Amino acid sequence: MNIALTHEQLALREEIRDYMMRLMTPALVDELHGEQREGGGPEHRSALRQMGSDGWIVRSWPTEYGGKDAGPVEQYIFCDEVIRAGFPYPFLTTDGVGPVLADVASEKIRASVVDPILRGECIVAIGYSEPAAGTDLASLTTRAERKGDKWLINGQKIWTSYANVADYVWLAARTDPHAAKKHHGISMFLVPTSAPGFSFTPINTLGVRTNATYYENIELDDQWQVGPLNQGWRMITEQLNRERLSLVNHGPCELLYERVAQWAAEMDAGNGNGKVIDLPWVRTNLATVRSGLEVLRLVCFKQAWSMSHASLGMDQASAAKIYGSEFFVEAWRLLLEIVGQAGALCSGSEGAVLQGALEHRYRSGSVLTFGGGTNEVQRDIVAAAGLLMPRYR
Amino acid sequence: MDFSLSEEQQDVQKLAAQILTQEVTVDRLKTIESGEERFDEALWQQLGESGLLGTAIAANYGGMGFDFETLCLLIEEVGKTVAAVPVIPVLVGAAHTLQQFGSEALCERWLSGVASGKTVLTVALIEPGCDDPAAPQARLEQAGNEWALYGQKSMVVCADRAGLVLLTARLDRELVLLAIDPTVRGVALTPQHVTTGEPQFNLCFDAAPVTQDNIIATGASAQRAVQSLVQHTLVANSVMTLGVTETMLKMTAAYTSQREQFGRPIATFQAVSHRAADAYIDVENLRLACQQAVSLLSAGADATEAVLIAKIWASDVAHRVSQSAQHLHGGIGVDKDYALFRYCLWAKQLELTLGGGKTYLTALGDSIAEDFKRRNVAQKVTPHAA
Repeated sequence: MNIALTHEQLALREEIRDYMMRLMTPALVDELHGEQREGGGPEHRSALRQMGSDGWIVRSWPTEYGGKDAGPVEQYIFCDEVIRAGFPYPFLTTDGVGPVLADVASEKIRASVVDPILRGECIVAIGYSEPAAGTDLASLTTRAERKGDKWLINGQKIWTSYANVADYVWLAARTDPHAAKKHHGISMFLVPTSAPGFSFTPINTLGVRTNATYYENIELDDQWQVGPLNQGWRMITEQLNRERLSLVNHGPCELLYERVAQWAAEMDAGNGNGKVIDLPWVRTNLATVRSGLEVLRLVCFKQAWSMSHASLGMDQASAAKIYGSEFFVEAWRLLLEIVGQAGALCSGSEGAVLQGALEHRYRSGSVLTFGGGTNEVQRDIVAAAGLLMPRYR
Repeated sequence: MDFSLSEEQQDVQKLAAQILTQEVTVDRLKTIESGEERFDEALWQQLGESGLLGTAIAANYGGMGFDFETLCLLIEEVGKTVAAVPVIPVLVGAAHTLQQFGSEALCERWLSGVASGKTVLTVALIEPGCDDPAAPQARLEQAGNEWALYGQKSMVVCADRAGLVLLTARLDRELVLLAIDPTVRGVALTPQHVTTGEPQFNLCFDAAPVTQDNIIATGASAQRAVQSLVQHTLVANSVMTLGVTETMLKMTAAYTSQREQFGRPIATFQAVSHRAADAYIDVENLRLACQQAVSLLSAGADATEAVLIAKIWASDVAHRVSQSAQHLHGGIGVDKDYALFRYCLWAKQLELTLGGGKTYLTALGDSIAEDFKRRNVAQKVTPHAA
């Protein structure tokens, strides 16, 4: 057992860190501090194309697509550095939907969607949740019906992040309303956001901007139906498992922890008490974050390692999601306590500490415990898959 | 990065699991506990014969010569069964420390007996009011060419059957790590009653004779040796906590799955299954914190923060999982005819050994503060560094 990163892995981390530092130009940073915080602006699209042409997007893909088959540990290091750099990288497109399309889509879709994804020219939004189908996703009612040789799509999705900038929505729709079990009649579609009948309205949340999307008599050729008919559920759950992993990357928290500790080592505590970091409770807060964060780092790397050596258990993915999301909420609180009242100053305000990063983090952090599969359902999965406890039927 | 065990390690783990699960039945523990001392002599001998006691003892002293990481696999298995065998004080505190820092003569004299099971060695870590072995009140006084030991040590495991007790004392202001035969004059043993029933003793030293042969290390090298002793003991305790909590969790999942109330297994109530799921997450997180500390220590790398983090997690997880296991079992969890109570007692003893989690959270906080204040100074000296 040797849990340390190898020299090659450390070198890769430095390479990506350097690359991302160069990629994050002042113009891009400015754009991301404005209205287009989540990406999709001209600077962001241009940087994404740059990453594509420099081969970073295809890197984790199999060699048959021109990739380097980078292992899960290497891919975790990549994700972590990209997130640390503050670049809104479309993981769900490049690592979630992209590989699925490459696997099962037609030749034509591969050429018109997969290749552009790898070039950094295409963003896909995820259309799963509906106003009445959240945690109970399989009860979704958006429907796709046969009309001649076309599909007719009608319905509404919610929390369709990136839909305002995306080229496609990866849509789950009901194709067999009479299936014996509700998760048996669902199929996957790729809906071009340029299709007549597609529209969206913004939802401004506590943290980020997302969207409601509407599908009114959208006519699609058969080629936009992807994967086996009526068997979309498996593709959804596989993709959600991948998403769960990317939700709890330790990088951003580590970065903020270090910035807060640095801040506390520089600031005078007043009343001749030395620096802020000399206050006993501040040290306790930092140590609590540090010990929790170190274990989150190990959880993430263990998962990545497991993916390359054995299969990753559902219980492991769910346990990581619960622990990571709940740890983040507590970590933001402990770090904000150290900054004190000024922690409530927003980004861009006079006197904001660390550019208001903590103020923004705590606001966007509350979504984590229910986003990507609510933690109650994750606990059900841990008890059933990890502890073999029976479920209530 | 590699989380896997080598084939030899898997063999050691299998052998340990096989012997311990087969031998350590509830009836066996009851018999041992109704006897004079909670020490399973027959099992100790069996572990010696199988070679397991010599897991990390060098081949030239009769051991298998594996590393500390491999020894920790045995310790985890002992934790899983709460067997009445003092593996940590004997194999980690005493034998491992002796092997790393003791003279050739001391190792020659004692280690093969430990490996075979013939000899028990132990370590005296704490004193009344002081859980830090590096800050002893016990003192050595010069007496001609020799020294006389004065002071007190508390909670010394199996001191009554130990050939040698490792301990720390001060000589003037210097730290000394030494080993003493507890049967010599000037040493008084008083049995203590501890929560698990483990045989522990208070040791009083009144001019106990110490010669040059008893000294393992002094001054800076004693500081290093004691730091290593403490780090290895803390991590071994954390690993044993992992074993103890693993079994508690397993028992809890099994019990709540078959116990029915309101016409259904209580495991089907989310209030029950979710608390068990939290315990599962705790145990898996503790496993990772332990693995990191163990592999760093085993490789001889700097493990200071990793050790603190493992101990912080072990203390919290011991408490949380133990209380959840008791709570989810209900009445049977406290019934001394059912196996769970022993695990809970061990969880608490391990949590408190060498001090609780807050001691180490404070130490981690101090280490973080020093680190960032140093970075601050470094940045001021070289403004381009950032």
